[in-house]
Amino acid sequence: MLSAFRSALATPDLRRKILFTLMIIAIYRVGATIPSPGVSYPNVKRCLENVDDQGVVQLLNLFSGGALLQLSVFALGIMPYITASIIIQLLTVVIPRFEQLKKEGQSGQGKLTQFTRYLTIALAILQATGIVAMADRGQLFGNCQDPIIPNSNIFTLIVIVVTMTAGTAIIMWFGELITERGIGNGMSLLMFINIAARIPAEGAAILDKGGVTFAVVCVFALLIIASVVFVEQGQRRIPVQYAKRMIGRRMYGGTSTYLPLKVNQAGVIPVIFASSLLYLPDLISRLVGADGAGWQNFIANYIVKQDSWVHISVYFLLIIFFTYFYITITFNVNERADEMKKFGGFIPGIRPGRPTSEYLQFVLSRITLPGSLYLGIIAVLPNFFLEVTDSGQNQNFPFGGTAVLIMVGVGLDTVKQIESQLMQRNYEGFLK
Amino acid sequence: MTAVLILQIALIVTSLLLILLVLLHRGRGGGLSSLFGGGMQSSLSGSSVVEKNLDRITLFVGSIWIICVVGLGLLVKVS
Repeated sequence: MLSAFRSALATPDLRRKILFTLMIIAIYRVGATIPSPGVSYPNVKRCLENVDDQGVVQLLNLFSGGALLQLSVFALGIMPYITASIIIQLLTVVIPRFEQLKKEGQSGQGKLTQFTRYLTIALAILQATGIVAMADRGQLFGNCQDPIIPNSNIFTLIVIVVTMTAGTAIIMWFGELITERGIGNGMSLLMFINIAARIPAEGAAILDKGGVTFAVVCVFALLIIASVVFVEQGQRRIPVQYAKRMIGRRMYGGTSTYLPLKVNQAGVIPVIFASSLLYLPDLISRLVGADGAGWQNFIANYIVKQDSWVHISVYFLLIIFFTYFYITITFNVNERADEMKKFGGFIPGIRPGRPTSEYLQFVLSRITLPGSLYLGIIAVLPNFFLEVTDSGQNQNFPFGGTAVLIMVGVGLDTVKQIESQLMQRNYEGFLK
Repeated sequence: MTAVLILQIALIVTSLLLILLVLLHRGRGGGLSSLFGGGMQSSLSGSSVVEKNLDRITLFVGSIWIICVVGLGLLVKVS
């Protein structure tokens, strides 16, 4: 393990990439602490101290690494980008033109990415306006009397909104820079950093409650992480045999490999989809303003409250639905079968072409069931312990559910990328 | 007060410029498909001269933006 680290740092190419990534992350974290112009930082701090149960806003705050409730310039984090990606991804099913673009390959994908970026900016403006409006009306922190934006004329508010939108654009750029020149996928890495940044603060909050609670939470967190790693690595290997071919004088193929189908093929995306969908009703209800209408009470009592059975079951079902949905979008069985046929491969005992794709579909949908159940259970798990750890405010978020899923997923992915880079290095001298 | 106003206007201008510049970049995020595993990025496309210059300009505008934000914060604190 340690030797891998050393060799990673010894490789100049890889070292540059890792250092570049770290630099971007450092800039990002510094930016996340700079308050937006016009926001009174002392007042925000005072409000943060006696903030009560914020429900779903807490989750958003977690995703932005605590920047949201501080109203910093990077307050929105990468949430707009993720929401935009989700929307574009969903639209590929609905709008034929998008579907066409998706099938077009590289150039089409590039166009879709460009759409995603435009949509990100639009969503950023929307969300920034929402948050600033909420902060201005004093709804962001529940019952906090201090004015967060002291001299709030329309011009100051516009400045804040524009600044936050620009902050989102910068984050998007950072993510792309990491993807291009650094290690791992930029967007997911930034998300990882956001969540990891919350761990010390939340850990301290739990430690305040007593050493025993802290120890129990730590043990639980380790158990959850271990089980998540276990399931994430689990895969079913479908054997694929390639036929021997003569091309010129050389023999090709004749190898037998396997097609890995992961238990959790979708990663954490379903969880993110579901949680951002659940956040919407709360946002709408807050934006409309509290006039105590019936539906608003319903939202506050059943959807925002994390330990209500409605919230838990809706969340769970949404995760299962999105797991299947996302896998059907990303893993095209027919394409896989066609590819296999093209290169002379087949699954032993099954004809190439349609039977193969049917078989793949069968295996995939069966293996996804435990995968989706596992995702749902892990994500919902902390909600059951709300009662135990009392005081609904402390949801131990970084230690359970969504956060662990994201952290482990991204961590594994990044390590794998570093490993493959190392592999490249070692084999280069070998082959030449 | 005029200093604050000037900084605010500068901030708005640089913010709009930044958004424009970032949108001008070729998107390499790859959307969701490459988020969280899966999806191979083709590393074939080297950054072109245009991209390099765009990076430089973005960096420049970005630093002005940060200076504006920090400057505004300091001014508000002093007053």
